Amino acid sequence: MADTASRSPGAEALRRGATGPSGPKPRHMLSRRNIFLYGTLIVVALYYLLPLYVMIVTSLKGMPEIRLGNIFSPPMEITFEPWVKAWATACTGLNCDGLSRGFWNSVRITVPSVLLSIAIASVNGYALANWRFKGADTFFIILIVGAFIPYQVMIYPIVIILREIGIYGSLTGLVIVHSIFGMPILTLLFRNYFTSMPEELFRAARVDGAGFWGIYLRIMLPMSLPIFVVAIILQVTGIWNDFLFGVVYTRPDTYPMTVQLNNIVNSVQGVKEYNVNMAATILTGLVPLIVYFVSGKLFVRGIAAGAVKG
Amino acid sequence: MASAITNPSVSIQDLSLNFGAVSVLQTLNLDVAEGEFIVLLGPSGCGKSTLLNCIAGLLDISDGRIFIKGKNVTWEEPKDRGIGMVFQSYALYPQMTVEKNLSFGLRVAGVPKDEIAKRIARAAEILQIEPLLQRKPSALSGGQRQRVAIGRALVRDVDVFLFDEPLSNLDAKLRSELRVEIKLLHRRLQNTMIYVTHDQIEAMTLADRIAVMRGGVIQQLDAPQTIYNRPVNRFVAGFLGSPAMNFLKGELEAGAVPVFKADGMSVPLGRYQFDGEGGRAAKPCIFGIRPEHIAFGDAAQAMPFTAESTVEIVDPMGSDTLVWTKLGGQIISFRVEADKTLRNGDAIRIGFDPARASLFDAQTDNRL
Repeated sequence: MADTASRSPGAEALRRGATGPSGPKPRHMLSRRNIFLYGTLIVVALYYLLPLYVMIVTSLKGMPEIRLGNIFSPPMEITFEPWVKAWATACTGLNCDGLSRGFWNSVRITVPSVLLSIAIASVNGYALANWRFKGADTFFIILIVGAFIPYQVMIYPIVIILREIGIYGSLTGLVIVHSIFGMPILTLLFRNYFTSMPEELFRAARVDGAGFWGIYLRIMLPMSLPIFVVAIILQVTGIWNDFLFGVVYTRPDTYPMTVQLNNIVNSVQGVKEYNVNMAATILTGLVPLIVYFVSGKLFVRGIAAGAVKG
Repeated sequence: MASAITNPSVSIQDLSLNFGAVSVLQTLNLDVAEGEFIVLLGPSGCGKSTLLNCIAGLLDISDGRIFIKGKNVTWEEPKDRGIGMVFQSYALYPQMTVEKNLSFGLRVAGVPKDEIAKRIARAAEILQIEPLLQRKPSALSGGQRQRVAIGRALVRDVDVFLFDEPLSNLDAKLRSELRVEIKLLHRRLQNTMIYVTHDQIEAMTLADRIAVMRGGVIQQLDAPQTIYNRPVNRFVAGFLGSPAMNFLKGELEAGAVPVFKADGMSVPLGRYQFDGEGGRAAKPCIFGIRPEHIAFGDAAQAMPFTAESTVEIVDPMGSDTLVWTKLGGQIISFRVEADKTLRNGDAIRIGFDPARASLFDAQTDNRL
């Protein structure tokens, strides 16, 4: 700028914007921000993944190898025997057919509970959101309060009720219990979803002459697939993972998988077969794990959609 | 209220609606003639959409009766009232094609297939949406969606069409296009139409009669020109017209020729048409004159009332220019052609005809 000789190229550069910042701001991979961010992420991820790693490698080792005590080392000789044993021959109480019995029990509990609870809760939510019937608000408040009462308080009264009806200890009883306890949160979920839908749509359908079920089945249902997926995920993982209701409301031959797993892992007799225990635990956790992996994004989106509007 | 209509298409009698302690509509009466285009106009929250929803049967009323085609429909379901409704947000069923959207109501009612096809073909022809029939609403533009929404009311072969701010979601250009189309549609179908809007241009252009509403009460129900020229109170006067009417505070002096006085200015009201006994008593009042009724320059000389003033602010608006000046010590605006070049501080002469003014009681805000 000072002397005339250097001024003309300088001005030229200035005109092209070569001296000042131009275009997208450069990002450095190894900036302090990135190191901090990814460092934290990696540490946290490792912290959560390490137990899973230990479980998988242990389940693939034979007992002699486990006794060496190197729990982090990969198996020297991979064996699937513990998995087979956990599934088919491990003993719980008098039965020695492994987790397979519990698996099918859990399926027989989860599928009807999920379908029943979602069918009822979606109609509940739809009625609460769109048909402002008399006492709707009171009903809704009671339902929400229900969500905050600890389950443990209600265990014994429900035992009595089921016994009086004559379905205590049967899978039917457990299915009903699961459906009832899923009701508050699911109804809230569906109600919030249906309230977020434009009300004019509902009005247009009424002018078109559709009734309660007509609007629900032909207008609302086809539009609410995402929230149904969310509800299914919530219920499948919740009911599959349930231990308390399973142990209280069923008998040994109808125990769900979680209860059976506990009985295998916590058996006090004989040698602790860590590899079988690990395999059994992974097998039990597999269903919710698969559900999360398959539907991860949808799950988060659905939770957010259900939570935003109150 | 005008009870000259002998055989009303829609008749609302003493309609009230309360939400808890809040009164939204108060003993409202309205008769709509056969084939008439009525516009309910008012600011948001005035109850105009609520009234429409009551007519449609989407809201339960607290008191009163509603007749459509001479039949008491007060307790009827929306589908049994013989109405079709068009919503602001279109409210098309997103998972259905245009054709299914149009036919939904008919399918619910169990109309035979060939009849449905016939009616859809007719509606699609009238609204020129034939090429869109197999599309989903998400693949349509705003204007096309609203056309389909109108079609949905059309196929139901109803007596009365209800429009709830149908053009408010569209941009200005589409809005004026569809406005013309709705007018043509009304001319072709000759159905009774009740149309809710807050847009005074829509109201003025479309309506046979406008009902201006405020606070759940119809302020004035009359032909657009009457409402524009002879508003019954200050609210109606201020709500219609853009730019808004000028209001000057002052005193009314009674006499053989009543005079309006404000800060040294006196306007003789000999040509003003008083409502009843309005001119007899002296009282504080408000003098209203529309910006387009104030003449300027040579044209002002010919006016019964003239005054000298200076230009305060000039607002060019394209088609014309709005000039702000002082009259009787108060700020007023008037319109001049865009080619008149005025500068701030210019001395000007303005004038108007008091016959075109509106005089309101300062206490009650009612027209004198």
